[in-house]
Amino acid sequence: MTGSFVILQPGHSVATDLGRTKGPAFGLPVNGALDQFSAKAANILAGNADNEPLLELTALDFRMRATTDLLIAVTGAPLDLTVGGRDCPQWEPVSVRAGETVAVRGIRTGLRAYIAVHGSFAVPTLLGSCAPDTVVGFGLKLIEGTELATQRTTAPITQPHYGLPLFRLGLTKPDFTTHPVIDVTDGPDVAEFGTTADLLFTSQYTVSPRSNHIGLRLGGALPERQLTSEVLSRGVPVGAIEVPSREELLVLHRGRGVTAGYPVLAVVTSRSLDVLAQARPGHTITFRKTTVADATATHRAACLELDRLRSTIQTVFGLLGIGAGERWHELSPASGS
Amino acid sequence: MPAPTIAAPAALEIHESGDAALRVVATSGNAEADWATVHSLAGWLATAGVDGVHGAVPTYDSVLVEFDPYLTSARQVRAFVLLAMRQLDFTGATVREPRRFEVPVVYGGSYGPDLDRVAAEQGMDAADVIARHTEKTYVIRCLGAPAGSPMMDGPDFPFPVPRLKDPRLSVPAGAVSVAGRQAVIAPATAPGGWCVIGQTPLTVLDATREPLVPYVPGDELRFHAIPEADFDSLAGQFLEARP
Repeated sequence: MTGSFVILQPGHSVATDLGRTKGPAFGLPVNGALDQFSAKAANILAGNADNEPLLELTALDFRMRATTDLLIAVTGAPLDLTVGGRDCPQWEPVSVRAGETVAVRGIRTGLRAYIAVHGSFAVPTLLGSCAPDTVVGFGLKLIEGTELATQRTTAPITQPHYGLPLFRLGLTKPDFTTHPVIDVTDGPDVAEFGTTADLLFTSQYTVSPRSNHIGLRLGGALPERQLTSEVLSRGVPVGAIEVPSREELLVLHRGRGVTAGYPVLAVVTSRSLDVLAQARPGHTITFRKTTVADATATHRAACLELDRLRSTIQTVFGLLGIGAGERWHELSPASGS
Repeated sequence: MPAPTIAAPAALEIHESGDAALRVVATSGNAEADWATVHSLAGWLATAGVDGVHGAVPTYDSVLVEFDPYLTSARQVRAFVLLAMRQLDFTGATVREPRRFEVPVVYGGSYGPDLDRVAAEQGMDAADVIARHTEKTYVIRCLGAPAGSPMMDGPDFPFPVPRLKDPRLSVPAGAVSVAGRQAVIAPATAPGGWCVIGQTPLTVLDATREPLVPYVPGDELRFHAIPEADFDSLAGQFLEARP
């Protein structure tokens, strides 16, 4: 059975997924959920595959009304979640009855929150992803009254013993802080900055209000390139730290233009990109040097944590009879990519 | 018939670029050979379909290879790139016949607000700038930002063209620009710091079509001047390869 919900107050929300990984080869940024860990966790908690469309909320309050019974999960930055006026927990599956309003208020400490809905919802895709691309003008615009159809609906899960928590899932929630420490590896052009490269690790940086999904601009002591030669345009990775001006450091995030002509001083690790996605203007950032091997190990540990959560959820949902056949669509033939 | 071959240069550098990308640089010193190498490598990686490798972004002398560090690792992808290079050495890259694109452009005025300034900086008049810009057959070197822009080696001007001191917040789709020793067409409206000398009425990018842009690196492109009066009648037509 299919379900649906209606956006009542969009705030600053988009329908997105884990990104357009085929985009960069065609000159399009990868985009997609900026805090990938929180986005994956939301989908897993809602009984979906990791990469299904979900809602990303940035900073502003948000409300939607369920037209059918739904199962949702809200992750990301700390916030106040109410369903039909009742306070509900984040980082857990939450039942919503038909007609009830889901309200997210007071996103704090971090910047972005994610709402996944069991059965996800149908939205247009480009190169296999629904992630909005502001440059090519792609993406479903969510406004008051937008109705999204979910592929499945779920009868409410009730807890017979009032007051007891419904789930004990054992997930370690990420820390949210106003003074994050961000791990970086040396960039391919670090030598061009000479000894000034070390400033990155001895200074503190303040997030500028001019930051967005394309990149964060950080004020603080700036390493300086020691060469003046022209740099040919080349592909730059998400997480690249550049010094394009004398005022600010630029840390590229998932909306970054695929090519650029600035030397890459350092690259933020995959795990720390999730932390940066939650940094608000005014937050102070400290950089810490790591190696690619350690960064890979840290990223894999986070993925394993999500794998454990997925397996717990499948057991719990299986016992509750939720989402039977939820994996059927993974059996479709691999697309010729 | 044996496939035509491009010799891979012996010199190749592979740089770590975080935990999810590698930068591979061809360092033969021959710009044409380096360009051919990185594009062959990108093509090979795209067709090989390696688990965990998202794709490759080739430009002039380098290619960025992006991957998922859960499914693979910088170390594995590096080994794979070296294997690909040996394979290309052995079999050579397939060379595809370039397609040709003709781009009508209204130069100057509100269509090309920087034309007169570029002319003054080059010590030429506007007509000479247009003549230099239209006399060359350009090779599309790579797809750049924003949105699959065709990056080309620029017209044969006496001096490199300086970028704008204050980049524009919005440059319209179809803008035809030059900067440094490069030329480009803007497929989509975006901020830009290049000097806009004209605009084509043709639609370059359409998010509802695949591929999004009609050209690939290696294709050839020529500009020709059209009168302002013809702009509206051509507007909305797609840029398509000449038959």
